[in-house]
This record gives sequence, C-alpha cells and structure tokens, in this order.
Amino acid sequence: MIGDRSDRTTAPRRRELSDLYATVLEVVKRYRGVARITRVSYGAGMPVDRLRTFVDRLLALGLLRTEELDGRPVYDITARGQEFLDTYWKMRAYVEVLEPPLEERGRRRR
Amino acid sequence: MEGDLRVDHNTIIEVDGRLVVSGTARFEGRSQILGDLECGSFDADEAEVQVDGGLVVHGDVRARDSRVEVGGPLSARGIDVDKSLKIGGPATAEEIEVGGELEGRSTLSARSVSVGGRFRLGGKLTAQKVEAGGSVDLAEVDLESLQVGGVIHLAGGAVRRSIEVGGKFVSEAPLTFGSLEVGGVAQLRGSSKGGSIEVGGMFSADRDLTFDSLEVGGLGSILGNADGGDVEIGGKFEVRGSVTLRGSLEVGGAISVDEGLVGTKAEIGGKLKARRAIFTGSAEIGGAAVTQDGLKASRLRLQRKARATGPLVGDDVEIDSKAQVEDVYGGRVELRDRAEARNVYARSVKLGDGASADAVQYTDTLEMGRDCRCRTPPQKVASLPNFPL
Repeated sequence: MIGDRSDRTTAPRRRELSDLYATVLEVVKRYRGVARITRVSYGAGMPVDRLRTFVDRLLALGLLRTEELDGRPVYDITARGQEFLDTYWKMRAYVEVLEPPLEERGRRRR
Repeated sequence: MEGDLRVDHNTIIEVDGRLVVSGTARFEGRSQILGDLECGSFDADEAEVQVDGGLVVHGDVRARDSRVEVGGPLSARGIDVDKSLKIGGPATAEEIEVGGELEGRSTLSARSVSVGGRFRLGGKLTAQKVEAGGSVDLAEVDLESLQVGGVIHLAGGAVRRSIEVGGKFVSEAPLTFGSLEVGGVAQLRGSSKGGSIEVGGMFSADRDLTFDSLEVGGLGSILGNADGGDVEIGGKFEVRGSVTLRGSLEVGGAISVDEGLVGTKAEIGGKLKARRAIFTGSAEIGGAAVTQDGLKASRLRLQRKARATGPLVGDDVEIDSKAQVEDVYGGRVELRDRAEARNVYARSVKLGDGASADAVQYTDTLEMGRDCRCRTPPQKVASLPNFPL
C-alpha cells in the first residue's frame, strides 16, 4: 500500500489521508475505466463501505468519474485526478529528501 | 476421479499422493487439501482455499471474492483471483490477474501479471507485461514492460521496453531498461543502462549510468560516471565521476561534477562546478563557473553578475556586465560594462564601459569603452600563449 513503507532505510510512515486518496486513485487508474468498487476495495486494502466515502469525495472533487457498465457503476480517473497523483508523488519525493534517515532519527531520540 | 468435485464449507481433504479431478474443482467457504491437486478447472466463490501441495489446473483458475493459497508449485492457463493468491513454489500461467494481493516465495513465469494491490515475489519474475496498483517487491526480473502505481523495489534484471511508476522505483542491483518514467523518486543501485529516464522528483544512481536521455524535475545524483545523450535537471545535479554527453545539458540550479564534463551544449541557471568542462557548442552560465582545469565552449557566455573561478576558453566569449572572471582565452572576447577579468588573451578584445582587467594581450583588434581600467597597458602581440584545454 502507498505510504506503508517509504524505503528500507526509513521507518514506516503512518498512512495519511492523502496517501489513502492516492492509493484509491492508483488502483482505479490501473483498471482503465472499468474499475468496480469491489475490485478497488481489494486493491486498496479498504472495506467497501469505507471506500465508498473516499470514492464519493473523489467524485465530488472531479478526480474520479463514474458511468454504468452492465447496470453497475464503474470508475475511472480524470485528468485532474492524474494531476493530483503527479503532484502527490513529486511532493512525496521532496518530503523524503527532507526526512532524516532512520539511524539519524534513532540517534536523535537517544 | 472422473467428473467434477464440489467442496463445501469447512472441508478438509486428505490426499494420498495427488488428487486428480478430470472436470472442475468447485469450492465454497473455507477448505483445505492436504496434498497435491490436479484438475481440469478450478472455481471458487466466496471461498478460502488452501492447497498444501502443488496445484495443476489444465484450464483456468477463477476465484470470485476468494483467497487461494498453494503450498507448492502452481500451473494453470489463466488465473483470476479477487482477493489474494499466495504461492509457495514456482508458478506458471499465461495470464494472472489478482484484485488484492499476490505473494510468491519462488519464481513466477507468465505472459501478463496484473495485481490491484500488493505484489511480492521471492524468485525470478519472467513476463511480458506486469501491472500493479499498489506496492511491489520483486527479486530479479526479466520483463518487457512494467507499470506500477505506487512503490516498487526490485533486485535488478532487465525490462526491455518501458517502466512506468507513479511513486518510487528502487532497483537494488544492475538493471537494463528501455525507458524509465517515475513520478516521485527513482534509485538505481548498481551499474545500470537504459534509454530515456524521466523522473518527477529525485533521481539517484550509486554506480555508473548509461542512458539516452535524463530528465529530472528536482534533484539528480550519480555516484559513478554518467554517459548519455541529453540531460535536463530542474534543480541540482551531482556526479562523483565524469559526465560524457552526446547531447545538451540543461540545469535549472547547480551542477557539480568531480571529474570531467563533456557535452555539446550547456545552459546552467546557477552554478557549474567541475574539474574541467568542455562543450563543442555553446555554454551559458547564469550564476557561477568553478573549475580547476577550465571551462571551454565554442561560444561561452557568463550572465550578468556571474562569477568564474578557473580559466575560460572559447572562440567567442561574452562576459556580461558586472561579472567577475579570472583568465579568459578566446578568438573574440567581450567584457561588458563593469565586468572584471584577471588576464585576457584573444585575437579581438572589446572592453565595455567601466570594464577592468589586470592584463590584456591581443593579436588583431582592441576596442575600449569609457572608464576602462587595465593595470598594465594592453599589449598587441604577434602570438598568444597556448590556451588551456
């Protein structure tokens, strides 16, 4: 999952809200326009009821779009959603550089 | 056994050797097979199936809302599992699709592998196409293309066509690749060779790197030698060894090269630092040029208020206003208004208003603006000293 481990030399990060939204967007993106809610829930490691609140928020923000396929809703990422992912990953890269390595953090704690 | 096998909830099947089912093995609920299973096709619905031995499926594995765990080897034509698939032994299939998590302790060989969430494999992965939405942890790979939404670690190998990663890409050992496109961070450990590299955030290679083009939005570092075509870095670029480019170099911030830097054209927004830098075409430096042996370009321009340490050499050298440089060697050298130089050696020299130099030697022409200062009178000479580089 996104955010659960940044590197072998750094401590696991607690998943923040932005990590969860990015996880959902990445999983939806992989299904290329035919992502069903159950499949996204397996991919994102999130129960369907909790996932629905994330998907609703992403739809409201225009980062996801939905349509009916065989009578069931399927989801796809929008250009704006892709822009969010591009920015998110770039920002994660900068944040990672700013964070001290694990051993340095350990020394500081001691 | 002939025909189909139906396995209901909470069933344990003890097998003496191998259970062979000519038709379909169907599972519902939780079940365990204490041995090997061979069947025509494998079908599970809202099930948790554990096969302690190997699993051979002549047709497809279909597992809706199910988890499947195989202790030994697995072979099937197609595999489609909704929740998770765990495999203890080597696995082969034409297509593998897992909605949630795929975990293998041995090798995996398939035409395509698609995983919605996490994908971990302990042995070599051989496939044409691999896609995963979440995090991926692989050993050696032999692939045509790789697409990952989140974070991927792999232990080197070959990806002949493209690697596309949304978040972070780490190769722990030498890697060859067609192209590498990463949104966040890319780290190459071990000497690597590839085509185009495009990284949104940070890029690092801890050994030598050979590439066609390198484009990094933020910071780039190479702890060995760099050999490639074009380089475009938004922020800062550090190289411990030498840099040899067949194309152009564009750096928004600073570039630091411990050894020599060779290219055709350079545009540096900030500072260039290298033992020596040679460009066959033009070089434009915005902030500072610091070299031990010198900076040479066919057309060399230091922008306003720039600083240079080490000799500058060029057919056509322009030192913009208020810039400060040391020795300059050229065909035509111009020091613009209030620019300062130590020694100038050129065929033609032009000094702008208020420009100053310790000494000027020229063979053809000298033009001087108002209030120019030369500590020693400019000398017209028959020949100039040998240029460095």
